[in-house]
Amino acid sequence: MTKTRSLLTIAAALAVAMFATGSASAQKAKIGVIYPSPIGEVGWAHELDVGRQAIADKLGDKVEFIKAENIPEGPDAQRIMNQMASENPKLIILGSFGYMNDGMRLAAKRPEIDFIHASGYKTTQNFGWFLARNYESSYAAGIAAGYVTKTKILGVVAAYPIPEVLAMINGLTLGAQKVSPDVTVKVVWLNSWFDPSKSQEAARSLVSQKADVLYSLYQDTPEVVSLAEQLGVYVISTSSDMSKYAPKWYLAGPHVDWSKFFVASAEAAIAGTFKGEGYWGGMKDGCVSVVAISHDLKPDQRKVVDDAIAAITSGSFHPMTGPITSQDGELKLKPGEVMADASLLGINWLVKGVETRIPK
Amino acid sequence: MAQQRGINMMDTLMFIVLGTLGATTPLLFAALGELVAERSGVLNLSIEGMMATGAAVGFAVTTLSHSHGLGFLAGALAAAALSLAFAMLVLVCLANQVAAGLAIGLLGLGVSALVGKPFEGNTVAPLSKLNILGLAHVPTIGPILFGQDILVYTGVALLAILAWMFKRTKLGLIIRAVGEAPTAARDIGYPVIGIRFGCVAFGGLLAGTGGAYLSTAYTALWTEGLVAGRGWIAVALVVFGSWIPLRIAIGAYVFAAISLLELSIQGLGLYIPSQFLSALPYIVTIVVLAVISRDTTYLRLNRPVALGKVFRYDG
Repeated sequence: MTKTRSLLTIAAALAVAMFATGSASAQKAKIGVIYPSPIGEVGWAHELDVGRQAIADKLGDKVEFIKAENIPEGPDAQRIMNQMASENPKLIILGSFGYMNDGMRLAAKRPEIDFIHASGYKTTQNFGWFLARNYESSYAAGIAAGYVTKTKILGVVAAYPIPEVLAMINGLTLGAQKVSPDVTVKVVWLNSWFDPSKSQEAARSLVSQKADVLYSLYQDTPEVVSLAEQLGVYVISTSSDMSKYAPKWYLAGPHVDWSKFFVASAEAAIAGTFKGEGYWGGMKDGCVSVVAISHDLKPDQRKVVDDAIAAITSGSFHPMTGPITSQDGELKLKPGEVMADASLLGINWLVKGVETRIPK
Repeated sequence: MAQQRGINMMDTLMFIVLGTLGATTPLLFAALGELVAERSGVLNLSIEGMMATGAAVGFAVTTLSHSHGLGFLAGALAAAALSLAFAMLVLVCLANQVAAGLAIGLLGLGVSALVGKPFEGNTVAPLSKLNILGLAHVPTIGPILFGQDILVYTGVALLAILAWMFKRTKLGLIIRAVGEAPTAARDIGYPVIGIRFGCVAFGGLLAGTGGAYLSTAYTALWTEGLVAGRGWIAVALVVFGSWIPLRIAIGAYVFAAISLLELSIQGLGLYIPSQFLSALPYIVTIVVLAVISRDTTYLRLNRPVALGKVFRYDG
């Protein structure tokens, strides 16, 4: 009898406790994450997952996750999203640009679920996008490249000429030209998001054309980095620190960190204060940084890189500050003019010094 | 400037010639394996999945054992096991070859993802290059002819052996007979099903070797989707190469060379739209093979008549 009573007391106490802390803790808030590629040790999906982990660390057992990795854009993604939505999550993180249309449709149907979408540009009340100012870190890495290149040729392996990628190539070029004005940049467009063998071939072809610094731009896997180590040329990667794949020849790692934004979005979604907005995180937001800068830079050279990072972080310097001339010789930014975010988001030209044209 | 461009052209040419042999190897292995299967009358569309399985298993074993030899062996055997499953379906259960091939191919992709999961994004030391007769350092021709890895030479040797086998040996003629007229072959006492089993398994071994070459020698990295459509190109090469080993090899070399040329042209700053360049390897390969296969009578003579048809032993 006493036993039953004490059990009842505990149950009642628990019920009160649950009631007191609100209905949210009665059931954990769910957060869905859709990754376009497998979560590896490095790369885009890995960094998305680091952001997800930050939510887990901050909110602990108040949240649980529904993860779906390696989801191709298209009908599969739509199916996975709808399935996720049926579990009534508070927030769904869409990890790739191509999920946009399916995501928008679902967001319109399910206004109580909030969405954040990678690399997009459309917003609604419950649908926002996030993007990193990678051109800032590309600029800083470009300075390092300008110092170490002997041939004055940099090679970029890139997937498709989308504005974000063009901005990063421009950042790299301008950074390199700051310390080595006659640097030229060659680009190979792969026209495929994912073919590691082809990106290695592209890197080899650039090295055969005398490039001695490679920029592995949005290659999710470290194939270009490990090849650079074999060939003995410097290499810059994207998203993650890939220095362990090229211990000798890793030059710098433009890095993204979604932690702050993901945590803020999750908290807002749970609290019901989420607003569908665009987030373009840069160095000053702690979203973009440069990691694993090579020790081959001399101290005075390193200082120039660090000063540039400090100036960008404080907001006193913007990499896209005129005079800047395009490939075609057109003066795009007058001296002292800073490129507005709106134009930078949709940039469709490359700066002078980049030899390769944008495929039209 | 003109001189600089001249140097660039030379280096570019060197890059293409040097790279072509390596880039061709996975295609060549897979296509020659498919050729043997198709010559025996079995259309195996699971090459892509078998290559992926060979690549994942080969990578896993190479990583764990630090032996490329064991990696190739394991990759080849894993793909051969898949091909035997396929052979069971089509030769014993008499399933439709196209449907069974696609299904086993999807299974292979799934197996590769599963096996490769712990190794996602990892790298291995690439298979070392040889230095035959110490001539690998002779300028220009040294690295091309004497400084490739062993699989490149094996691929070329395999091509020669298969070409000779189909043309000059009894075994080659038996395989062809089984693919042309299985009932006649049966009637004169050949074990049609057994021979087809052997040919499909051989195809699996080669597809697995090609896949393992991609993951442990050519790219020296595992990630899901590494094969990226090369299995399908191998299947297409067999058809466009009109089931003749040398033509298939020419197709594979042309395809690889144009793929590399495409990348080089971009770096040289010549302005040709890169989407067009990306399509170029396919276009050129088709045109080249169409031209060398323009004799349609000859083409019909070489196409295995029983290809893709269900064969009942008691039928």
